[in-house]
Amino acid sequence: MNRLAVQLNRLQLANPILVASGTFGYAREAQAYIDFATLGGIIPKTITPQPRIGNPPPRTIETSSGLLNSIGLDNDGLEQFIEKHLDYLLSLNTSIIANIAGRNVDDFKQMAARLNEFDGLAALELNISCPNVSGGVDFGTNPKLAAEVVGSVRDACSLPVIAKLTPNVTSVVEIAAAAAEAGADAVSLVNTFQGMAVDWRRRKPILGGVLGGLSGPAIKPLALRIVWQVAQAVDIPIIGVGGIACIDDVMQFIVAGATAVQIGTANFYNPGIANQLVGELSEIVEEQGCTHISELTGSLQT
Amino acid sequence: MGEPVCSPTLPGAVASAVQHQAHVVAQTQMARDTYCLRLHCPPIAEQIHPGQFFMVRLPGTDNPLLGRPFALYDVYEEDGQKAGIDFGYVTVGKLTSAMAEWKPGQAVELWGPLGNGFPLPDVEHLALVAGGIGQTPFLAVAREALGQKQYGNPPRQLPKPAKQLTMCYGARSAEYLAGLDDFQMDGLDLKISTDDGSQGHHGFVTELLAESLESNSAPEAVYCCGPEPMMKAAQQLCAEKRVPCWLSLETPMACGFGICFSCVTRVKLDESGDNWDYRRTCVEGPVFPADQLLL
Ligand SMILES: Cc1cc2nc3c(=O)[nH]c(=O)nc-3n(C[C@H](O)[C@H](O)[C@H](O)COP(=O)(O)OP(=O)(O)OC[C@H]3O[C@@H](n4cnc5c(N)ncnc54)[C@H](O)[C@@H]3O)c2cc1C
Ligand SMILES: Cc1cc2nc3c(=O)[nH]c(=O)nc-3n(C[C@H](O)[C@H](O)[C@H](O)COP(=O)(O)O)c2cc1C
Ligand code: FES
Repeated sequence: MNRLAVQLNRLQLANPILVASGTFGYAREAQAYIDFATLGGIIPKTITPQPRIGNPPPRTIETSSGLLNSIGLDNDGLEQFIEKHLDYLLSLNTSIIANIAGRNVDDFKQMAARLNEFDGLAALELNISCPNVSGGVDFGTNPKLAAEVVGSVRDACSLPVIAKLTPNVTSVVEIAAAAAEAGADAVSLVNTFQGMAVDWRRRKPILGGVLGGLSGPAIKPLALRIVWQVAQAVDIPIIGVGGIACIDDVMQFIVAGATAVQIGTANFYNPGIANQLVGELSEIVEEQGCTHISELTGSLQT
Repeated sequence: MGEPVCSPTLPGAVASAVQHQAHVVAQTQMARDTYCLRLHCPPIAEQIHPGQFFMVRLPGTDNPLLGRPFALYDVYEEDGQKAGIDFGYVTVGKLTSAMAEWKPGQAVELWGPLGNGFPLPDVEHLALVAGGIGQTPFLAVAREALGQKQYGNPPRQLPKPAKQLTMCYGARSAEYLAGLDDFQMDGLDLKISTDDGSQGHHGFVTELLAESLESNSAPEAVYCCGPEPMMKAAQQLCAEKRVPCWLSLETPMACGFGICFSCVTRVKLDESGDNWDYRRTCVEGPVFPADQLLL
């Protein structure tokens, strides 16, 4: 038996190590550094119904142990994704989870139905949490709207559905509970924390998008806290994401209640990290005397 | 919006790039605030060619967090084998200030080679235009163009060495001029300018380019690297004279290999430039034909 295989309701993954949306391009860019087949899965950059040009540069700025970004969902739209990237992604011998974002429920529904036409996708991740997109409904901050999106995507396709939630709310637990109630197979916790960088001498914001999302090691304690809070309160598999950069970080999320994790910003500064973590995770499970990773999931005692 | 941003063919994506734990072999000062680091890293040295870059990161810390891009200055050899790379840098911020303190043996994390690099020159007269630290890619370009050295694996084959090679190099003042000894080579006509007139022509480096473009033996191609205003001026001069020009951009980068979409520049989708799209300079550049860019 594969001691690292994990099940998140209808979604099965060969191991818990995924790479996060927007931090792995369309995978092909990382082929020099990563053996894709060893990953638990790949989540390509968010797809929107129509092309989006994205925000003007500068789009990222490093902060203390973190990264602020205002990429603005720069992508060529769903049809170009299908034409240019889908075949390639589906050929990589790992689970491909398409991440989608729309401006209204109908957008999400139509994208889900269109992607449902292709065999081989493992799941859909709904980006209802991107702080960089203006003009859209803020699904991620309102439990009712979050439930509506999740429910309509479930109805529109047969794929497992993951809701990716924003931490920029008073209670992520409330949103996660609504997503679970509406039939989400899992929740990804969390997207970036809204932040800002200022060049005071020029009296200007540094990012072209003015506000940005903070990621990287700086946010790990915050993300970990949210994973733990949701694990305590809601009965739904959790995919932990935020600042994970080494195997100890992975284990912290797993014992706090995450069934799987996503590696984000760390891919930028350690291109081979996702492969490395899969190997190390296998060793840790053995070292801990476990026959299966699930024995460690949520094992935190308070 | 036209052409897709993320076309499957990325001219600057290097399938054979590697992530490598390197170490510092030597560090020398090149000019004021300007240093040259020599890193031992055979797997990158063997394949890198002029105009390509690599990411440098200090391992074991989260601050600075990200790697930083640097261009190849030259490849050095040991026992006739390509053993490592030299690169020049100016201290401007977090990592470069730390780098100035690095001693031989210092561990360094690298990934590369990255980017498309300069095309192999196939002209009789090539001009190189450098502003400030933008000179660093041009030592290897010059050595390759003059047929003195080969780069890449398999080695890039120059159709024929350039008969004439002009380099216009501008800096703020004489104390910032770096690597002048390295650029003393047969066949290279080095023209200097400084903003304060402390050495060479008193004025902009693009004035030296303009002079060269006006001369009887004008260059048939121009390679340019430096601050944006200078590149813009070079772009315009070359467009007026209809001389093909390539610009190497120094857009800030977070990953260097195409996964973050932070390093974008505006690329024209038609001649007028009314239609344009953001493109990633790390995997579609950093070297672009000047007439494709909206700077
Ligand atoms: C393809 C490519 C090749 C390059 N080759 C070379 C080369 O060969 N040699 C070389 O010297 N450089 C080169 N560069 C530039 C080099 O990458 C940068 O100088 C380097 O990243 C600086 O890193 P740092 O940590 O020292 O500076 P950082 O601390 O990252 O700062 C960089 C600049 O941004 C400003 N800045 C940073 N943070 C803030 C803030 N919060 N608010 C306002 N301003 C801020 C700093 O003042 C500084 O001017 C290249 C760049 C590219 C894209
Ligand atoms: C440059 C950048 C781009 C991102 N783009 C997306 C995106 O398109 N869709 C999405 O759901 N999340 C996006 N994210 C968020 C990440 O997937 C992840 O949730 C977040 O960065 C926290 O994890 P980390 O600290 O490991 O990076 C992006 C993050 C970064 C840094
Ligand atoms: S620097 Fe990350 S895509 Fe270019």
